[in-house]
Amino acid sequence: MDDPTTRSSNTESPAPDHALEGLDDTPHTGESVEADGTLVEPQAGDFEHHQQDAPQPDWFKSAVFYEVLVRAFADSNGDGTGDLKGLTSRLDYLQWLGVDCLWLPPFYASPLRDGGYDISDFRAVLPEFGTVDDFVELLDEAHARGIRVITDLVLNHTSDAHPWFQASRNDPDGPYGDFYVWSDDDSKYPDARIIFVDTETSNWTYDPVRGQFFWHRFFNHQPDLNFENPAVREAMIDVLRFWLDLGIDGFRLDAVPYLFEEEGTNGENLPRTHEYLKEVRATVDREYPGRILLAEANQWPSDVVEYFGDPAVGGDECHMAFHFPLMPRIFMAVRRESRFPISEILQQTPEIPDGTQWGIFLRNHDELTLEMVSDEERDYMYAEYAKDPRMKANIGIRRRLAPLLENDRNQLELFTALLLSLPGSPVLYYGDEIGMGDNIWLGDRDAVRTPMQWSPDRNAGFSRADPGRVYLPPIMDPTYGYEAINVESQQGSPTSLLSWTRRMLAVRKQHEAFALGEFVDLGGSNPSVLSYKRVWTRPNGDEDVVLCVNNLSRFPQPVELELADHEGATPVELTGRVRFPRIGELPYLLTLPGHGFYWFQLSELGDQGERRSMS
Amino acid sequence: MSEPLTTSADDVLTVVAEALPAWLPSQRWFGGKHREITGVRPVAATTLLDGDPLLVHLVVDVEQGDHSSVYQLLVGSRRDQLPDVAASASIGALGEHTLYEASGDADLTATLLDLVVDGADLGDLSFRTEPGAEVEKGLRAHPITSEQSNTSLVYGQQYILKLFRKLVTGDNPDLRLHRALREVGCTHIAEPLGSVTGTLDGEPATIALLQRFLPDAADGWVMATTSVRDFMADPGSDPGELGGDFGGEAERLGAAIATVHADLDRALGTESVGQDDLDATVSAMAERLARVAAEVPELADHVPALEQIFQQVADLPTPLDVQNVHGDLHLGQVLRTLSGWIVLDFEGEPAASITERQELRSTLRDVAGVLRSFDYAAQQMLVGEEPDESMAERAMVWAEHNRSAFCDGYAAVAGSDPRDQEVLLRALELDKAVYEVGYEHANRPDWLGVPLASIARLVSQEDS
Repeated sequence: MDDPTTRSSNTESPAPDHALEGLDDTPHTGESVEADGTLVEPQAGDFEHHQQDAPQPDWFKSAVFYEVLVRAFADSNGDGTGDLKGLTSRLDYLQWLGVDCLWLPPFYASPLRDGGYDISDFRAVLPEFGTVDDFVELLDEAHARGIRVITDLVLNHTSDAHPWFQASRNDPDGPYGDFYVWSDDDSKYPDARIIFVDTETSNWTYDPVRGQFFWHRFFNHQPDLNFENPAVREAMIDVLRFWLDLGIDGFRLDAVPYLFEEEGTNGENLPRTHEYLKEVRATVDREYPGRILLAEANQWPSDVVEYFGDPAVGGDECHMAFHFPLMPRIFMAVRRESRFPISEILQQTPEIPDGTQWGIFLRNHDELTLEMVSDEERDYMYAEYAKDPRMKANIGIRRRLAPLLENDRNQLELFTALLLSLPGSPVLYYGDEIGMGDNIWLGDRDAVRTPMQWSPDRNAGFSRADPGRVYLPPIMDPTYGYEAINVESQQGSPTSLLSWTRRMLAVRKQHEAFALGEFVDLGGSNPSVLSYKRVWTRPNGDEDVVLCVNNLSRFPQPVELELADHEGATPVELTGRVRFPRIGELPYLLTLPGHGFYWFQLSELGDQGERRSMS
Repeated sequence: MSEPLTTSADDVLTVVAEALPAWLPSQRWFGGKHREITGVRPVAATTLLDGDPLLVHLVVDVEQGDHSSVYQLLVGSRRDQLPDVAASASIGALGEHTLYEASGDADLTATLLDLVVDGADLGDLSFRTEPGAEVEKGLRAHPITSEQSNTSLVYGQQYILKLFRKLVTGDNPDLRLHRALREVGCTHIAEPLGSVTGTLDGEPATIALLQRFLPDAADGWVMATTSVRDFMADPGSDPGELGGDFGGEAERLGAAIATVHADLDRALGTESVGQDDLDATVSAMAERLARVAAEVPELADHVPALEQIFQQVADLPTPLDVQNVHGDLHLGQVLRTLSGWIVLDFEGEPAASITERQELRSTLRDVAGVLRSFDYAAQQMLVGEEPDESMAERAMVWAEHNRSAFCDGYAAVAGSDPRDQEVLLRALELDKAVYEVGYEHANRPDWLGVPLASIARLVSQEDS
């Protein structure tokens, strides 16, 4: 353990990897140190892995994403905590469901003081989740089933347990001395706001070891990396290379707006941050074509588009970014029985470059904060949310979809249909496909992180462990408990929410218009009905037009649609292939049941058009 | 003798004028249904599209005893190939030609837009675009079906052409105020793009107004009644906590109306009126009250209180600011679009004469109009149902919630709260309600309870 040859050359300070936990027997950063003080880091070549298939550069534009927490999905070794091997063992289910890409929140080595976003070694896996080899196995098995995998990566900061930080504080003149933002006092960058105002009083914290202050935009145990230092910029690109070499399909880049600091600015969205993202993107395009970057920028769409980069070249920063305000607007629209909240936000959403796509979601682990919006929008949101406790709960993160919608099957279907047909790649949250519930007694975040409910067996089929060892108790109430809601029983029932969701994913996949089509809001005189077209022109010039009509009201509604552009076309309902009356010159009349929706194909193609390719 | 292959505009006019006394009362836009038509005098006929089919613009003077009103008609004539229009559009025949009301014939109405873009002059009619307006030709139109006193054609989801059915000479306030508001950059109107002007008794008369069509819009009445429907279906207590709450929309509507008022002030200015005008206003209110009370016995109990409330207006301090206003504002005259609320139809009260409609009025008249409309929206579900006290109570709670939100929004923009001008606002609202009592008594007896309930409530607030 204490072999001086594999530890720091400076015998007076602790080894740089001393703060890492549980990685003694696994390759990790700083397990040995070279003569010049450089930390030895694991390399992709150390791990056996498959080669990636030929890239399909635009796959992410039509992919259905599935956010899955490794901890919560399946426990392979009976220790009560989900792990990578467990997730691998459930890939058949995900393939059967029809998802195209898994999004894994961080699974790296971490002291877990910020849900794993405090990474203590970018090149090691949190021991309770498994090893890098387990991750490679997950990648290979997923790829074999046509499923891609992306994960979160925090560029902005590390945990203070990271060997880089330990080396930096102990050896200011060593190779890591300038890896973090150090200062003799705490007076610089006074215009940068404090993000976590509840826990932090300053963006500077004094380190008694080095005798200087270090800069942190988030918690004081998460020192910001110094992106002014070319070595840091290269080191972070090397971290990306490590995982990309192992076969990962992309990253969700966490906290991207904060990479650089500059006196006299708020330290957000600085031009140099964009420059660096362009550099990262160029590396990915050059060395790993077909892999993607997804920006986490919890900001208004008009600001987020900056992270797609230059539209003239189809975008040269991130391939994807989340559209945050759409989610609360969907809830607001159905609650108000009014299409305006959704139509407005989509109208305010700028065009994005050709080579990019939004990610949209109903639930995930992030929340929209009203602080990020314009004054006008804030007034609007407050006017709509202020007195209505249910509306406020909807933008928070502590509820799952089914309980938010009072387990109303019609609404669950309507919301899912909206998610799958509005512009952007949909992101499902694990368990929502079976209508899992939440446990509000577990507190803010854990409420929606309970074990996946596989079967009515012990621990919901999630783990063989003694129930007391399971990381969180599975949901057990009569409505949402695992005896009532589980994959096994729903897979056996053609009318279950799970079977329905699977069918809808399959229908979506048959029509590229859902993924790639232009969004055309049809307006109309009935404010409770949201109707839109998705219009996609195939490379051969044929048009694929999908018409979506959604009744946001709980009461039945008529609607007259202005479809004169499609006079002569016959709408074909997409789930049952039922042909509806032909469209004439006059407005097209439809009636919808409460919270009902229709998806139609409108193209005037003959039989040729009915046979559409799956790819 | 063979039939002529084509018919002339004058032949059409003659035949149509003869057929109109029987045909007019079946048309929704015809305002004189309650009086017998004693004669129809042809005034003018202009061929808009020659040949077969033929499109003729007709102006006729409809006499009803000592009343007479001038109306315009679009008449189509076809020999073969009957158009796909409703049977009720058929007016008569001229030889083998069928004559019909042509606003539903998309083959013919396309001509109107083209004439506007071309800046055509045909007979007395001048077709013009507004300065700087870019309008595209060659679009087909269909009439919107919800309209009452006019007929509007929507061209390709881009433009809407409103044909004023009843023609009056003089400055058309709808056109005038739209132009003034466009001039100052008002964002709460549908942009005016063109017009058609004719001549009546030697004076110019506005025939039609072309505006930007807003395909994303839903009208305020539908929006509000959607909320009422939701509220009535749930026995919850606070309308602000209900799913279909309209409060946020009502507040933004109030802000939009205040903005339009400020824009009208900027464009056309404010005037002051003195005691004489107040007295005239009071006596007009009192006269209306006397007239309606004589016909509607249910109003009798409230007459003394109403008289007293109206009389208080005469005691208001003068001079009082007045300005151009909408004049007939209600939830059916506003549209919710993706960019916010839009106000339509600045024609003023359609039953009023043009001089009356041009009268400078208080902005509170528009506020009172919307407040009345909230009462109507709240109570419309009760109409024709068995009386139900708890439902009536809930309707009032909804109305109060939204009336208050509307005033909040108005006050935030205007800088002063309309509710602070209690005396005038209440009088204007009650005056409007008295008018409604008269109207409902004559036309929709089922609805009489709506304005009567409002009067009872407003009057009792006065007592307390």
